[in-house]
Amino acid sequence: MDNPFRVGLETERAPAPCAFVIFGASGDLARRKLLPALYNLAVSRLLPPGFSIVGFAVTEMSEDQFRASMREGVAQFSRRKPIDEAVWNDFASRLHYVSGAFDDEANFARLRAKLDEIDANNGTRENRLYYLAIPPSLFPKVNDQLARAGLVADPSDASRYTRIIVEKPFGRDLASGDALNADLHRVFHERQIFRIDHYLGKETVQNLVALRFGNAIFEPIWNRNHIDHVQITVAEDIGVEGRGKFYEEAGTTRDIVQNHLLQLLMVMAMEPPVAFAADEVRDEKVKVLRALKPLVGEDALRDTVRGQYGPGNFVGRPVPGYREEPNVSPASHVETFVAMRLELDNWRFAGVPIYIRAGKRLTKRITEISVHFKDVPHALLREDGAHVEPDVLAIRIQPDEGIALRFVAKVPGPTMTLRPVAMDFKYGSTFGGSGPEAYERLILDAMLGDPTLFARADEVSAAWRFITPIHEAWASAPVPTFPSYAAGTWGPPEASDLIARDGRAWRRI
Amino acid sequence: MSVPLDRVERELAKLWDESARAAGTSRASLLTLVALVSEPGLLERAQAAVAEVVQTRPCRTIVAVWRPGDTPSLGAEVALHRGHDGGPVCGDAITLEATGAAREWLPGNAERLALPDLPVCVWWVGDLPDHDDLFDRMVVGADLVVVNSGEMDLRDLTKLSSIAERSRGRYAVADLTWIRLRAVQDMVARFFDDAEGRACISGLTRVTIEFRSPPGDEDAASTQAGLLFGWMASVLGLPDDGVSWKRGSGWAEARLGRLTARFEAKPRADVRPGAITRVALESGEARFEIERQDDPLVFRWSRQVPGVASPPQALRVHATEEPALLARCLERSKRDLLLETSLRTASRIVRSVAPRLSVVPPPR
Repeated sequence: MDNPFRVGLETERAPAPCAFVIFGASGDLARRKLLPALYNLAVSRLLPPGFSIVGFAVTEMSEDQFRASMREGVAQFSRRKPIDEAVWNDFASRLHYVSGAFDDEANFARLRAKLDEIDANNGTRENRLYYLAIPPSLFPKVNDQLARAGLVADPSDASRYTRIIVEKPFGRDLASGDALNADLHRVFHERQIFRIDHYLGKETVQNLVALRFGNAIFEPIWNRNHIDHVQITVAEDIGVEGRGKFYEEAGTTRDIVQNHLLQLLMVMAMEPPVAFAADEVRDEKVKVLRALKPLVGEDALRDTVRGQYGPGNFVGRPVPGYREEPNVSPASHVETFVAMRLELDNWRFAGVPIYIRAGKRLTKRITEISVHFKDVPHALLREDGAHVEPDVLAIRIQPDEGIALRFVAKVPGPTMTLRPVAMDFKYGSTFGGSGPEAYERLILDAMLGDPTLFARADEVSAAWRFITPIHEAWASAPVPTFPSYAAGTWGPPEASDLIARDGRAWRRI
Repeated sequence: MSVPLDRVERELAKLWDESARAAGTSRASLLTLVALVSEPGLLERAQAAVAEVVQTRPCRTIVAVWRPGDTPSLGAEVALHRGHDGGPVCGDAITLEATGAAREWLPGNAERLALPDLPVCVWWVGDLPDHDDLFDRMVVGADLVVVNSGEMDLRDLTKLSSIAERSRGRYAVADLTWIRLRAVQDMVARFFDDAEGRACISGLTRVTIEFRSPPGDEDAASTQAGLLFGWMASVLGLPDDGVSWKRGSGWAEARLGRLTARFEAKPRADVRPGAITRVALESGEARFEIERQDDPLVFRWSRQVPGVASPPQALRVHATEEPALLARCLERSKRDLLLETSLRTASRIVRSVAPRLSVVPPPR
């Protein structure tokens, strides 16, 4: 029987009371992202009563030291400043800490005792959400220990839940990605696993769904009959920022393309799901990945460009090249830039090229999807052979989230002079204030058990199935001449050649 | 800037144009928000509230007020709403001031000045007058009508219920006090989220609602308390006719079938008059209680169900200022059937204790 007092009641999305355990709680992710997100959920009154956080990490510290460290993180990185003391005091009283190695059974027995105590005092009823803010190599150890300590509920048990949030990278190729999934599935059911890609928590990515499926005017033209091509750019102006060791293992393709960029592609290209529900949405997204024309061997070498930044300048000051960054090999051949020409073999997008590019130390920080429409069929208003610019719909993911439509208008005057004009819709200036951070939305969704905005195992696998042959083709090709672009530019010239080959150019952004 | 009525649009366009040249303003509007100020003393409050709302809900605001006078006249002032700290323009503001009989001209002019093709929200600021057709004329073209039952007395629950019924879906009715009640409703609903709690619902025999006494109130029930109980009674399916009442100084008790509802006024200076301070429910041996603490934003939530451990919780609620409530109202565009049902039930329950409707005033 449902609770009759909930029927028709419009309350905020209210999750059941639970304990939130962060493995790797002394790390950067917890301080910069997770605690500020949880604090902001508390400010927004979206955390359930009794909600408690347990930090678990190798670093020895007392609960008071943990609280002090997290307070610093919240003060520095929260979108809401200054800290609301009343909210913080209540929030801090719910912060706990357990220190110890991840492979020591005794530490997990202590964790269990702490969680039992929280259940008894705070009414969290054995609802547990684990966040793995640790390297993937430690996942198996933590999973095993959780299972051994009896800290994983049966997914069919309706009286309590166990969920686990996993951070990328979800492997480094198809084999390791599948192995990681298999390892998670040893302990958790797929519906208990929440693979987080924070891009999906961004308001604009969700708004792309609203734009496509909440408006009648876009969907009829969202196909090969009207779209000339699509460009997706994920550009960063910073370098590897102390993550040299990680980047040497990953490169831009694994760090950005396999997850964030393909997520954007999926949301842009998917068919309308029958409902905005987890499996319906993710079924449609996976179909997009399956429709991606494989880039294997020669095709991969022809339709991809990789690059690496050399020394250059960033906002007027000199910056080192990738090979001069800490923990990077001086002879590294890891890519810090990639551009690709993709095609989807499906009814909607057949023959529509999708150009993607991602990289570090580019001219500016911007993430954008631009949909370039076809020329008008008959140049009725062409002036002395002048080309009338086709319409472009640009969905800006960051910064300045918004939507811009470029269309042609007549310049006032006695002649029919046409010029493209941009109509710009910015969320920030339209709705004021700052919306929730991606992590806030996603953590709340995980607490509510809604995996719609999380990656499913088959999605991760399909992404690796597309990416792995590209890495294999690069591995068999001659060693590239790196560095190939100066920091502060839009990447190597070959990236421009890739799109110019089709008579097109990267959008000026 | 004061402008003749027929130049309102032109002057606003000029202001937008100047602003666009200075800062490249683009315009996005969600709706027209018409605030009808029932007495001049509330004008400043209404203007402050709409100026705050427009920060996150870009719109055109029309604040209309009237003053007594012999010569009918209707003047307009125009301005632009700017973001906090000199941020970008987020809407335009029109103030209409009617004198004397020109009050009758307000509905037509407000309608003429509404943005084309966008929803219109009419917010009635203050108490609802009896037997005044201005309200009816104002809401003719509205999509959403916002009132605040907390500024009214018990008899107005009947009036609000009939307004909602009369709308027949042409417009949705929202109530700022109803939005304010959501946190309390959520805490009450939490008692019954699990099976053990739900098992106690059928055995509920007593509900106590305590509130800060509204000044000068003689009914020992605030509209907020009445509305909360109306909701609970409709959820529980209690009979709302043949209600028997007992009343004392600062309290009243109603008997509805198996259940007794007690309303009790309590002195408390740090919350709004009429605000709920405590709700307690009894079902056999089980006890459920939420009680406002010394910090007025914190409630103690406790539940004693035999055989079930439910540690008490301290629950913090949002400070619910008028602009935030109004912004929440604007988020919905469809009828709030739960509000309508709760209003209807509450109005039937309090019918016999609410003061008689005032007599029809002589024609002006």
